[in-house]
Amino acid sequence: MGVIAREIEQAGVATTSISLVREHTEQVKPPRALFVPFPFGYPLGAPEDPDLQLCVIRAALALLERPGGPVLEDFPEDPFAAQDVNLPQASDVAASSRKDDVAFEVTSLRAHYEQWVDGHGGRTTVGLTGVHERKFRGLVRFLEAFARGEEDADMPERPREMSIPQFARYACDDLRAFYFEARLHQKPGADFQDMNRWFWGQTAAGNLLRSVRDRMKATDDPALAGLAFGIAR
Amino acid sequence: MPRLDRLSELQCNRLITHNVLVYDDAPWVWPAKPVASMRLALVTTAGVHLRGDTPFKGGEQTYRAIPSNAPAKDILLSHSSIGFDRSGVIRDLNLVLPLDRLREMAERGEIGGLGPNHYSFMGAQTKYDRLMDETGPEVGRRLKAEGVDAVLLTGA
Repeated sequence: MGVIAREIEQAGVATTSISLVREHTEQVKPPRALFVPFPFGYPLGAPEDPDLQLCVIRAALALLERPGGPVLEDFPEDPFAAQDVNLPQASDVAASSRKDDVAFEVTSLRAHYEQWVDGHGGRTTVGLTGVHERKFRGLVRFLEAFARGEEDADMPERPREMSIPQFARYACDDLRAFYFEARLHQKPGADFQDMNRWFWGQTAAGNLLRSVRDRMKATDDPALAGLAFGIAR
Repeated sequence: MPRLDRLSELQCNRLITHNVLVYDDAPWVWPAKPVASMRLALVTTAGVHLRGDTPFKGGEQTYRAIPSNAPAKDILLSHSSIGFDRSGVIRDLNLVLPLDRLREMAERGEIGGLGPNHYSFMGAQTKYDRLMDETGPEVGRRLKAEGVDAVLLTGA
């Protein structure tokens, strides 16, 4: 991000950045940066907390009125001071021993997913593959076939220029987004520790993503290993 | 991120060994007006883009434009890293792309207004050649041409 800020400033537009990694910002030196001590994925502080978000924005914009730089300042508040800020990954959580069918699980979560979307003005973060959520049983069957190493595992929605493994990664992202949105409706008070522990520890989909990762890692192709790292670790 | 001493050893090591460029000073533009008169735009490395745009691949050094009036329901996230929690952005896009907050600030006169577009890149980069030679300067030129006075950058 610091590199991009420098290029934009070089083009003649003033920049101010919200930094999540102080140690990196100290080295790259974007012109103006506000360090925030929030978890990754939370640069503005907290979801559905407009007051905190506004505070962060105002503090970052205030740096535009400094006489010289580079400027790196610390945001004074830390609402996460008492929380574990490490994100639970697949390897941190014991896998579910349930042998549930993922397609069945998808069907059982659908009503929650639909109510989440209805409650958020139609907004959903599902959509990278273009496969409609009504067809997610098919998406699951594709991922299961891919994980088994079946050569003809594919979906008609895949753009011709996109590789099958790349499409599988987006399918994993879509499936996880569907589960997260359903879960947020099912358990509105869940924090990010709960959400990620639930997904990796209590769902059959978490295990399916692990097996997709394992299939990609089993090849010698470094590009697939990179994709696998973005699915489960 | 959280301060390094609050992270697991694995994640801490990943961060301190990340390929980061080192500079001694920074380019500097003197803003010619107060924030209340500035036209602002957002640039993010959170890997967000319009629904229907080609999703980001890991390490991709290109960008996507997001029109200023795009509703949150038209915006997806295809960041390749699972190093950050997705549930925050699922709850509220403003967490990485605070379009609602900036629109409110413009209505109250706290900022002068918004540019016609915002720009999004992929984060967690380990190579910077195209960002520095091509796509970074290109976004800078576009913002300049769109009359943007200042940019707020966010990562994920």
